Order: sequence, then C-alpha cells, then structure tokens
Amino acid sequence: MTMDRRTFLKAGGAAIGVAALPGRARGQAAPSAIRIGYAISLSGPFAPGAQSTSWSQYKLWAKDVNDAGGILLKKYERKVPVELIEYDDRSQPDEVIKLVERLILQDKVDFILPPWGTHMNLAVAPIINKHEYPVIFFTATALRIRELAKRWPYAFFPLAQPDDSAAPLGTMLATLKSQGKIKGRVAAVHVAEQTGVELHSSFVEACKKNGIEVVYSKSYPVGVSDLSPVIREAMQTQPDGFFAFSYPTDTFMLAEQSSVLGFNPAIYYSAVGTPFPAFKAKLGDKVNGVLLWGGLDHKAAGLAEYRQRHRAMYNRDTESGAVGMYATVQVLQQSIERVGEIDRKKIRNEIATGTFPTIFGTLKFKDQLLIDPWTVGQWQNGEVVGVYPAQKPNAQALLFPAEVVRG
Amino acid sequence: MFLFEVILNALVLGGMYALVALGLNLQYGVARMMNLSYGEFFMAGAFGAFWTVMLWKLDPLLAMIASVPVSFVANWLIYRFLLLRLIRRAPDQDALDADVILVTFGLLFVFQGLAIVNWGGEYRGYSYLAVPVKILGAEVALNRLLAFLAACVLAAVLFVILGLTRTGAALRAMAIDPVAARLVGIDVLKLSALAFAAGGALAAISGTLVSTFISFSASIGVVYTLKALIVIIMGGVGRMMGCLAAGLLLGLAESLGGYLTDPGLTLAINFALFLIVLLVRPTGLFSRG
Repeated sequence: MTMDRRTFLKAGGAAIGVAALPGRARGQAAPSAIRIGYAISLSGPFAPGAQSTSWSQYKLWAKDVNDAGGILLKKYERKVPVELIEYDDRSQPDEVIKLVERLILQDKVDFILPPWGTHMNLAVAPIINKHEYPVIFFTATALRIRELAKRWPYAFFPLAQPDDSAAPLGTMLATLKSQGKIKGRVAAVHVAEQTGVELHSSFVEACKKNGIEVVYSKSYPVGVSDLSPVIREAMQTQPDGFFAFSYPTDTFMLAEQSSVLGFNPAIYYSAVGTPFPAFKAKLGDKVNGVLLWGGLDHKAAGLAEYRQRHRAMYNRDTESGAVGMYATVQVLQQSIERVGEIDRKKIRNEIATGTFPTIFGTLKFKDQLLIDPWTVGQWQNGEVVGVYPAQKPNAQALLFPAEVVRG
Repeated sequence: MFLFEVILNALVLGGMYALVALGLNLQYGVARMMNLSYGEFFMAGAFGAFWTVMLWKLDPLLAMIASVPVSFVANWLIYRFLLLRLIRRAPDQDALDADVILVTFGLLFVFQGLAIVNWGGEYRGYSYLAVPVKILGAEVALNRLLAFLAACVLAAVLFVILGLTRTGAALRAMAIDPVAARLVGIDVLKLSALAFAAGGALAAISGTLVSTFISFSASIGVVYTLKALIVIIMGGVGRMMGCLAAGLLLGLAESLGGYLTDPGLTLAINFALFLIVLLVRPTGLFSRG
C-alpha cells in the first residue's frame, strides 16, 4: 500500500486530534454525525400540507442545531452535527412504508422523523415500533390512537384526539347558551375523509351531551370545487354557529364563499388549514374571531426568535401546526442530550417520562399521549392564539361574537 | 328563488370546468397530442398570478401579459423539439400516442419538481374580486363569474376560428385525418404546433382565472389535467362547444345533485354522469358520431 502526502497528512492530523481528546473518550470515537432520516410527501396531494407543517420544520431545526454546533453527546463530551436523509413518498402509503424500511435497514439511520398525515403516520408506526425507534407522530389524530399507543410503546401522539378536540366546543356552546348569548342551534359540515368524519361525529356527540341542537349536518367530498350550495343551505337554518371539519383547500374556500354570500354567524370554526398563512392571505382582517382546531401558547419562550428564523429561511410566516411540529423535534433533541448517547431505548424512556420546555410551551407525555394538548384556538388581532383548554398558560379568553370582532 | 340560485351557481361552476378543458381540447383534440403535463402550465399560470399579487401588489390578471406568451412559446418548443421527434419515428398512431403519453408524463414530474424546488410546495391563495354580484336577485362571486364569462368567450372564439376561418378548416381537416390533410397541401406539422402552443396559452389563462378563487399548490397540475380530460371526453374530442356543454352539464349535475340529494355525493354524481355519457355516446356528446 502506498500512502501519498495528502493521506499521510490527514492520518497524522487525525492521530494528533485523537491524542488531544480527554482521556475518557479516547476509547470510543464519537459519531461524525447524528443521522436522521424521514420519508415525507414532497409530491402528490399531501405535499402542500407536508411541506408547510413538517418538512420545512425538519430543515429549519437541522439548520438551527448545526448553527449551534450540533447536539451535545455527554458520553463523548462533544457536539455532533445532525445530518438529514430524506425521501419523497409521493403521497403513497405503500411507498412510505418501503422508504422507512430502507432508512432503518439500509441507511441505518440513528433516528426517524415522521411522515405527514394521520394515515401515513399510522402506516409506518408498526415497522418503526418493531425496530424500536422512538418517533413523535405530530400529525396523527384518530379515535383509535389511544388503543394503538398501548400496542406501540415507541410511538408518541402529541395531537389532541378527535373527541378531545370536540368536547370543549360542546361546553363552550353550552356556556354561551346558558348565558343567553346564543339560542343553541349550530350547523356542522365536514370533508368526507377520516379526520373530518371523526371530528364531526365527535362534535355531534358533544352537542348532544350539552343540549345543543345540530340543525344542519352534511358532508362534501375531498377536492370539492364549489361550496356555496352547502353554505346557502346552512345559512337558511340561521344557526348561531357554523362548524366545518375541513381540509385546507375547502377551509379557504368556505371562508371566502361565506364572506361573499354574507354568511356571518356569531361563531365560525374550521379545522385543518385555518392557521395557515394562505388563510390569512384570503381573508385579511376578516380572520379575526375565526375559531380553529389546535392553537398554541403564543407567548412561549423562544417562539418570537423562532418566527424570525422561520421568516429568514422561508420568507413567509409559520403556522401553529408547524410550531408544534418543530417543538416535537425539540423534544427528541432534548431527550438525546439528556441521555447523552445514541441509545434509542433510553431516549424513548426519556421522552415518555421527561418534561420538555419548547417553543410550543412545556410538553409532557402520559401513556405516550401529550398531557392537555391545545384543542381550540382562535385568530385574535391577526395572530393565532390558544383558547381551550382554558387553564393552559397564556390561554386567551374567547372572542365572541365573531361577527362583531370581524366588523 | 333558491333553485334559481343553485342553477346559476351550477352554470358558473360548469364554466370553470369548461375553461380548464379548452386548452387541452386544442392539444388533444386538434393537435392530437395527449399532453399529461397540461396541468403544469395551469399551475404556472396560477403561480404567475400569485406572485404578481404578492411581490408587486398588482392585479393578478396582469400576470397573463407574461405567462400566456411564455406558456405559448414553451409549448411550441415542447412540440417542436420533443414531440416532433416522436412523430417522425413512430410507425403508427397508436405507438405515437403511447410515446407522447410517456414523454409528457415525464415532463409533468420535471415541471412539478421545478415548481416545488423554486416556489415551495405549500398552499397558496390570495383574494381577488371576492365580492358578490347580483344577477336577477341571486348572488354569485365576481371572480367565479369572470372565469365563467371567459370560458364562454374563449369557447365561442375557438368555435368561430375552427368553424369559419380557412386556418380553422385546415385545423379540422388535420384533426380528422393528418395524412389526408397533408395530401391536400396543409402544413400539418406547423399547424399542429400552433394548436398545441395555443392550448398551452389557454392553460395559463385558465390557471390565472381559477387561482382567483381556488387555492392551489405546486402539485395541483395533475388534478386539473384529469378534470380537463373528463370534460373533453364527455364533450367530444376536438369539439369546443361540446367542451363548454360538457363543463356546464357537469356543473349542473354537481350542484343540483348536491342540492337534491347530499353534497357528499357530488363526486359520485359527476362520475355517474360521465359513465352514462360514455355508455350512450362513447365518442362524446358533440362528436361527429
């Protein structure tokens, strides 16, 4: 074997570097990078949601971590940068499963970040769990998740599940009714897709329990081009509140068409997409008073700085779901730092039991579900705030009626 | 009164379907090229309008000053440098169809990928003419009405050009039988390049107009290609008035069906109508039979 000058210099440099390290770490070399893989929808119908809520946050987080020198691994007493390995699942569940398997078996990544959307997450959760990778599935919500969490100890679900998201709406309506502010008649519509169906049925249930009458209850298909017939019919029932368990494109369309048709109920709620910048771009000042699924602690420590970094990287505002997503990656980062080495079992236990200060507020899990997640938020003064659960830090009082707020 | 509102609404919705389909009808019906990347030019038109509003705070329709010629030239180049090679080497029409579909399918991903990389993949939308207009007491959104009127005007213009002008006669001859058209002295390649490019320009126009009321993203193109294809097959390939009629019929079925049954069934109703038309008139409503 011949050794040219460059290799010799490199080897020599490395030898000096090793000699200079503190004694304890000399035996084991620290990894040159923490390799984090994910398969996510960069094309296909889920791409818009995946990019605004998940992918953009992975990229921003990796940049933030590496700008700070990496993640500190106590075992080696040094910071190790993160390296992202990404694949496009083309919005296909079978594809995402294959790619996650590839990340685990072939790329042998250290950690995995979740894909986007409930059924994509649920599709990969079994293999991820089988290979014992701790993953926080931020964009998954379904009534059966509580059961699934018991089966998959490595899977964490921070989002409010459909029944928990709908329950506070029922009590909110009951309170307003008892105060004589509304008559207690609401219209509810939903997109004919699993999340929409489950949120809707949970909401109807919550209304029944609280003596609220659902006077209009209809669904519409995914990718609908015109929602004015639905809005006109809902208008005719003269409801106090309008609730749409919707997806982004129809969320935007419902808002615009309601405004065009002069439908201005005292309570207006819509689901996925309501906190997006595109929603505000459509409605302008009329967003104020609109209730939404989710919410956030708008005064959480580090949130303002995060917003600035987000704007600098993407030249657009973030949204509450993206903030939550970023926060769950912070939870992973903090767990790695606390454990101090890449030991996925220990890290899983840290996520399950630890308390994590994040830009989304302080997060803590119980039975792998987030304790007290945000369920209802509202656009107030041009920004999204959290309203329910009302006991959470910085929860804001409900702005009511929305029509007056919107002016 | 309510029924009138529903019907008016249906017509406006149908107009949008027709508008989206007109360009592809030129490309597939007249130039005989099944362009699966058609929707990407629709998407590019929508983005042109979006950036015009966001970056320069200008009227989104002004974007068409740039996007329509760009789309025209881009489609002409695609025809001239990609599809023409396929035409020259294809042994017969069937082989050509398969080649064109494969090549434009590839282009779809190239254009979509470029858009995602350069513009990001998230949802885009802006507000333009989102105000109600009263027509005989019923209200429609002005932005949707505009798309409907554009569909009617463009369909009529294309109908007149194809039906009454000399170029139109040549185009029709070419659509029916390219080989025979060549024998009577029609420059088939030049004319079909023109029809193909014009179809691309129409895609940009429809993208601009539809983006005023429907939010979109870089991956939306293929959805509109499929919508357009359904309208064309229903109306009769190459028939401009058929395209308009099929669009309006779909709009009517969707709105009235949703009103009389359940809005959740609108997709099913649309596809049922499509099936019926295919069963009764397999070559489309307005086909030459």
